[in-house]
Parts: sequence; C-alpha cells; structure tokens
Amino acid sequence: MSSSYGGVDLFGSGPHRFHEVKHGLFTVTEFALGIMQSGTVSLGVAELEVVVTGRLVAGSEAALWALRDAITARVVHPPVRQTLIDHHGRQWTDMSFLRFEPADRTDRGRVLSLRYAATFRRFRAI
Amino acid sequence: MLVLSPALVTFGGSRWEHVTLVSIDRSAERVALEWTDAGAHPTLADVPEQRVTVRVVQRVERDDLNAPRPGDAGELVLYTSPGGGDAGRRKVSAPAVVTHVEHDVTLRRGAQRVIRLVAVSADGAADPVTVSDAGGGEA
Repeated sequence: MSSSYGGVDLFGSGPHRFHEVKHGLFTVTEFALGIMQSGTVSLGVAELEVVVTGRLVAGSEAALWALRDAITARVVHPPVRQTLIDHHGRQWTDMSFLRFEPADRTDRGRVLSLRYAATFRRFRAI
Repeated sequence: MLVLSPALVTFGGSRWEHVTLVSIDRSAERVALEWTDAGAHPTLADVPEQRVTVRVVQRVERDDLNAPRPGDAGELVLYTSPGGGDAGRRKVSAPAVVTHVEHDVTLRRGAQRVIRLVAVSADGAADPVTVSDAGGGEA
C-alpha cells in the first residue's frame, strides 16, 4: 500500500522509509532551573517525531518541482494535526509537518531525483 | 571502448606518434541506491555522476622533452584502423584534460608513455565521447 499524510500520497514518486526518532522523557538540568545541583528534572514525555527519508523521482525539472511544492505546501503555521500512514498501514495520529529538508543537489541521471528528510511531530499542544 | 594501434591520434591539434592503445573507460562517480521498508533489495539505482577516463599508451622511441602536462586541455581525436585500410574506419573524439603522464621502461616493451585524461562534456548532459564514420578521406 502507498503511504500518506492527511490522506494524500506525498512521497510515492520514489522509494521512502519511516522511522520514529525517540521515545523518552524530556529532561532539563537542575542548574538550568536555577538549582545549584548537578541532577536533572523530568518535565514529561518527549513529543513523538517520525521522519520520512527517501527520494523524489520525476521525469523533468518541472515535474520534480511540482512534487517538492506539493510537499512544502503542507508545512503550515499554525500546525495542523493529521494522520501519517506508512507502507504497512501503521498510523501515527495527530502529527504535524515540522520540516522538509531536501538534499544539497538534484541528481540528474537516468531520472531526476532528490533525496530528502521530512519530519513530523506530535505537538503536546498547538 | 578499446582501440588498438589507432591510425592517428591528435590532442589539441598536435599529433601523438606511435600510439599503441587507447582505452576509454566509464565509471560511476556516484551511485544513487534506495531501499524501501518492503524488503531487502534496492528499488532504485541510478548514476547521477559519472566519469569517462581515457588512457593513451604511446611507444617512445627517442628522447622526448615535450610530453603533455596535467591540466593541458584540448580535443582528443583518434581514428581507428580496423583492417589497416579505410573501410569501416571510425573517428572518436572527446574534449579532454590531461590528468597523469607517466613513463615506463621495460626489456619487453621498451620505453612507453601512458597519458591519462578525463573527458569533459560541453554542457554536463551530453556524452563527451563522439564516435562517427570517418569515411576514407581522413588520416
């Protein structure tokens, strides 16, 4: 099955993979809170991030830019919460599109392609 | 691509004598390989950057103080001699830059010079090596 974000297949032009960045507690040092001690304090569960890495593939420069534009148009403020679904049907609900990072070059071989990383975050509050 | 004993080799308009072999090798400078979450094998393979390297082997029969130098640029042109005659003769040309010039002396081969060049594309997209029918009027 194809992946999607908000019901739209944004990354299906080329191969892409999903991974969760971290699960854990968000901590700060006591020193940062004005406590002259060497320990840390937990402020709660860290927000979940899911990163999609892959390569957009197109047959022309215009088609590749259209793919990029369709993705970056989803990066909005204030963030919206939508569902991210991977190839195997795994769903991450309430995810906001945080960042799209294209590689430093468009690869021009047999096809035009562009590596990228797209980061989604489940904000605790928007 | 391999050309043995080409009939004529010129570089930047200068004739290179006694060339015994010209090889044109192609290699991927960078390979784009991508996998998916579906399995073990890549689903995309492409070569967005490649290099065409030319190696010219030249027999040296006397002192020669005018060897090409790394950085020299020019049009490398050679004509094949498939049967020693003009029939089927091909012209191979490429804008190129010299990268290595090395000499070697052995009892079996005598003195030889090996010149390595990188072929350069006019616009980055066009293949730098052109092969055409030379007819019977060249070389």
